[in-house]
Amino acid sequence: MADAYLIEPDLDFIKEVGALGGEDLKKCYQCATCSVACAISPETKPFPRKEMIAASWGLKDRLVGNADIWLCHNCGDCSTRCPREAKPGDVLAAVRTYAISEYAQPKWLVNALKEPKKLPILLAIPTVLFIVVGLVTGLLDFTPDLSEGIKHYKFFSTWLVDMHMVPAAIFMVAVFALGLKRFLGDIHQNALQEGKTKKEKIEVVGFITAFLKVIPTILKHSKFSDCTENKDREIAHMLTIFGFIGLFIVTSIIFLVMWGSYLLPSGPLHGPWSQLNPVKWLANASGIALIVGTVWLIINRRAKKDQKSDYWDWYLIYLAFGLGVTGMGTELTRLAGWAFICYLLYFIHLILVFCMIAYLPFSKLAHLVYRTVAMTYNEYAGRNF
Amino acid sequence: MDKKYGVYICEGCGIGEALDIEKLCDVPKEEGFPVKTCPILCSQEGVELLKKDIANEGVNTLVLAACSRRVLFDVFRFDGCIVDRVNLREQVVWSHPRSKYPAPTEEQKDDEDFIDHVQMMAEDYLKMGMARVEKVNLPEPYKLETFNRKILVIGGGITGISAAIEAAKTGYEVTIVEKESALGGQAKKWRKQLPGAYPYDSLIPPTVEDKIKDLQNYSNITVKTETVVARIAGEPGDFTVTLKKPGEKTEFDVPYPLPDEMKVDEKGKELDAEALHAKFMEYNKGKQDILTLDQNGEKFGAVILAAGWRPYQPEEGEFAHLGYGQIADVVTNHQFEDIAAGGKITRPSDGKEAKSVVFIQSPGQGDDKDFAYSGAVTSLVALKQAKYVREDYSDGKAYVFYQHMRTVGLTENFYKSIQQDQGIFLTKGEVTGVSKNGGSLIVEADNTLLGEKIQVKADLVVLGTGMVPATKDSPVVNLAYRQGPGFRDNAIFDEYADSNFICFPYETQRTGIYAAGGIRRSMTVEESIEDATGAALKAIQCLESVNRGVSVHPRSGDMTIPDFFMQRCTQCKRCTEECPFGAIDDDEKGTPKPNPARCRRCGTCMGCCPERIINFCDYSIDSIGSMVKAVGVPSEDDYDEPPLRILGLVCENDALPALDIVGLNRLSYSADVRFIAVRCLGSVNVIWIKDALAQGMDGVFLLGCKHGDDYQCHFVKGSELADIRMKKIGDALSSLALEEERVAQFQVAIDEYDKIPQIIDDFVASVEEMGPNPFKGF
Repeated sequence: MADAYLIEPDLDFIKEVGALGGEDLKKCYQCATCSVACAISPETKPFPRKEMIAASWGLKDRLVGNADIWLCHNCGDCSTRCPREAKPGDVLAAVRTYAISEYAQPKWLVNALKEPKKLPILLAIPTVLFIVVGLVTGLLDFTPDLSEGIKHYKFFSTWLVDMHMVPAAIFMVAVFALGLKRFLGDIHQNALQEGKTKKEKIEVVGFITAFLKVIPTILKHSKFSDCTENKDREIAHMLTIFGFIGLFIVTSIIFLVMWGSYLLPSGPLHGPWSQLNPVKWLANASGIALIVGTVWLIINRRAKKDQKSDYWDWYLIYLAFGLGVTGMGTELTRLAGWAFICYLLYFIHLILVFCMIAYLPFSKLAHLVYRTVAMTYNEYAGRNF
Repeated sequence: MDKKYGVYICEGCGIGEALDIEKLCDVPKEEGFPVKTCPILCSQEGVELLKKDIANEGVNTLVLAACSRRVLFDVFRFDGCIVDRVNLREQVVWSHPRSKYPAPTEEQKDDEDFIDHVQMMAEDYLKMGMARVEKVNLPEPYKLETFNRKILVIGGGITGISAAIEAAKTGYEVTIVEKESALGGQAKKWRKQLPGAYPYDSLIPPTVEDKIKDLQNYSNITVKTETVVARIAGEPGDFTVTLKKPGEKTEFDVPYPLPDEMKVDEKGKELDAEALHAKFMEYNKGKQDILTLDQNGEKFGAVILAAGWRPYQPEEGEFAHLGYGQIADVVTNHQFEDIAAGGKITRPSDGKEAKSVVFIQSPGQGDDKDFAYSGAVTSLVALKQAKYVREDYSDGKAYVFYQHMRTVGLTENFYKSIQQDQGIFLTKGEVTGVSKNGGSLIVEADNTLLGEKIQVKADLVVLGTGMVPATKDSPVVNLAYRQGPGFRDNAIFDEYADSNFICFPYETQRTGIYAAGGIRRSMTVEESIEDATGAALKAIQCLESVNRGVSVHPRSGDMTIPDFFMQRCTQCKRCTEECPFGAIDDDEKGTPKPNPARCRRCGTCMGCCPERIINFCDYSIDSIGSMVKAVGVPSEDDYDEPPLRILGLVCENDALPALDIVGLNRLSYSADVRFIAVRCLGSVNVIWIKDALAQGMDGVFLLGCKHGDDYQCHFVKGSELADIRMKKIGDALSSLALEEERVAQFQVAIDEYDKIPQIIDDFVASVEEMGPNPFKGF
């Protein structure tokens, strides 16, 4: 190991981690029960014991850029077995929240995502944008023609949708790209410092190979299934994730087909698609999975009194739930022919979609990216995870 | 006293089934002792029988052959009567089952060669009991000519004040002597005090001032400040105490015994008693001999030693690797407390704010030992002082590097609350060095919980040095005892004033002197107050025992005292020197001068006396010797293959109870052994062993407490002295052509009953291997 490590505790960091849900971290007396209890912690340099002392000593640099905090799946086995009720699971969750904020820019948006008071503003951004841009361009029609039945594009033009969603997606990718560049550098630096890897550099090919290896692990939730304390969460999370993936695929197909169909002589193909279309099957199944999964997650979290759930967590779950409900609601009311409710739900749905995409790097959903990258790095670095 | 004997044999608890009671009754009958049997002696009818015989027949010397004397002692206590308990139950029938030692069948009863071990054993024990009662008498209480019940408290700190208040509450007159000009001691010098009440989680303002105020409510407490003890002479109930100003020289300053090298002449020969005394007086020129009483001295009955502690002062160059002595900003925890008590925490070097403070609990350098004289209190003090840093500065940081974090009992709550402070950082670790780095310090530590070598920036470094008991520097009590002014051999307790840490708190090696607080071990204020109460109660117990002429401890209530037959004394001084409690002084001729109220009745003097002139009325060279002689030693004249006879001298404090537990658990051991209980192995006189071997016994062993640094001897040195004597007896045995191994000493703790059968059987087997004692049958 290198020379002596000069420790400079960051008192604000300790305070912040406490405020983010890790307020019991100082109770830790370093018995390492957590590291033993954890089913997915590696054999060498296991977490979360070392993260616990680093957190209670305010060693921000040892935590924020530490891939290990992302290896944790927050199952709560450690917290249940902690003899001091220091809740290592909650502490790591708090540190992750801190890390997400740390890598995301701009900071005001980060802070807005953490405060319930700012939620109306966050929702107001897409709402106002949609209405103003829609009215200015005339792409939003509050009195759509109902002669051909309910057609969403007649109310809210597809142009208008993509005019917002595409820049939002680009913004998201850019924010992530900037964050990930630092993140990857930091976790590699940290791994070298703590002796968790022998690789000196990150090579692109090797990294991509590692990514491909990790994908099945993520999809199969193999890490989740090692958990004993919070086992129910595995299926709920899986349903949610597969719901999202399914809907992502459906949306992509529709996006491509629709813009592609402009090339057709018959003109663009607008929705809704026939219920007999396999894409529709996938859409419906995914929507149902999303709703069932999120409801399950909500019930689970509500039942877990010993595990911390705060606004940061609820924001994401209810957003996902809202996406599912408004999506399916739009379809069902359309089939029922309730035009007003259908259009209203569609409008809300689009607001939520915008929120999901644009705020992704600032919300808890960013774990999707950071955890994946951390797991990939781990696979690449050869840590026995 | 005209003895009228009566032997009573109980048939209960399996005794009647295992033994031939009728045959057993022949033993007393042959000696002319009246004998009666009873189905259950401890029953109402049984006790009535005894009472009736005492009242109607005038029986006053009873031999009760039943169970161990350790049980039902109140049932079989008859005032004015000598009672001997022959243990047929635990020691005979319970530990020697008939399945292993069969009773004779009808045909075997007439077979001369058949050996009924169990019956033989019962008969021996009965004979021994009968022999003993012939030799013992009832004790007369030792009454002091003048008796004083005032209590002297040495030390006016939190412990002394608390002890004085506790004793005063019960109506005793108390005098506190304090060497400083005001009461309060160390507890007055702190910024804050450790929590003393539930929930034990936060610091409290010092409480000593309230105690001092409380003290003023007691008119029976006298306070003498700027006063120390010049000497304490006499014995409990009648101490003559000379007080003086600190530093003052008086003729009643306590004299010190001669160092060993001065006890011999030029040729290395030991000086005689008178020459020794002359030399002693010369060595202590200007001071009166211990036997000269100060006519102006104040009288006290008991002493509470609460002289407390002083901060450890590192020596020149000590802890240089931590910068102590070289860097002004490296201080001890005591110095830090002074800084904290004086105001905001600042650096001694430049007076700047000290916002980052490192507390070091162990000097490191290869082992995990803490600083000398530190312990749980120093751990708690580090936590307390870390909190000071946080009190003074909201952005302050306090680090504690420890090898041991000792937070005993509910002080764990305090630890937890300190741990919760976001600016306090605790880790186990070895501090390897402290160095200067510009304006601040760098503390380097290895093997920390952070898993690597770390460095911390510090404005101030605090070393967790310990609390040194006052007895480390001087005897404090200044006893005018021949053995010397202080407690002997206290180095094994690092000079803390203690005698047997686990079993008998407050007891010192000097009867009537009870230690409490920081002088006994490092303690918090809360512990010291509790300790003070304990010592006050012990002092009261002492007074209320001495006034009745009974022993205080551990033979509480024992009225016997050692009786010296001075005409035959050779002034060898052995009793004076060996008494573990310094109870015996001697005059200029070397003649012993016993102080019975200092005596704990262990009998060490009896055991060591080569002239065998020291005896107790119910425990003497003769009484035990007669018991030894009462043991039947079968020889080849009696049997073709006579069984071995082995004597076991058993300490009554731990070994005897353990032996009873052996019986209680029905564990069995060799039937060739006969036990005699002794007050302490220190009381075993080698004459008993010689007698036993001379009468043909094949071996003798002593069973008693552990000795050494972790001794368990109830009389501190008894088992150790016995060990020395047994080693010396080897030479005497070899001159008789007897193997040294025929005599042995074994150590057992009270809970080691399960080991006893093996110890006994192994010894019997080793004796068997040596063969029978060649003197047998002579």
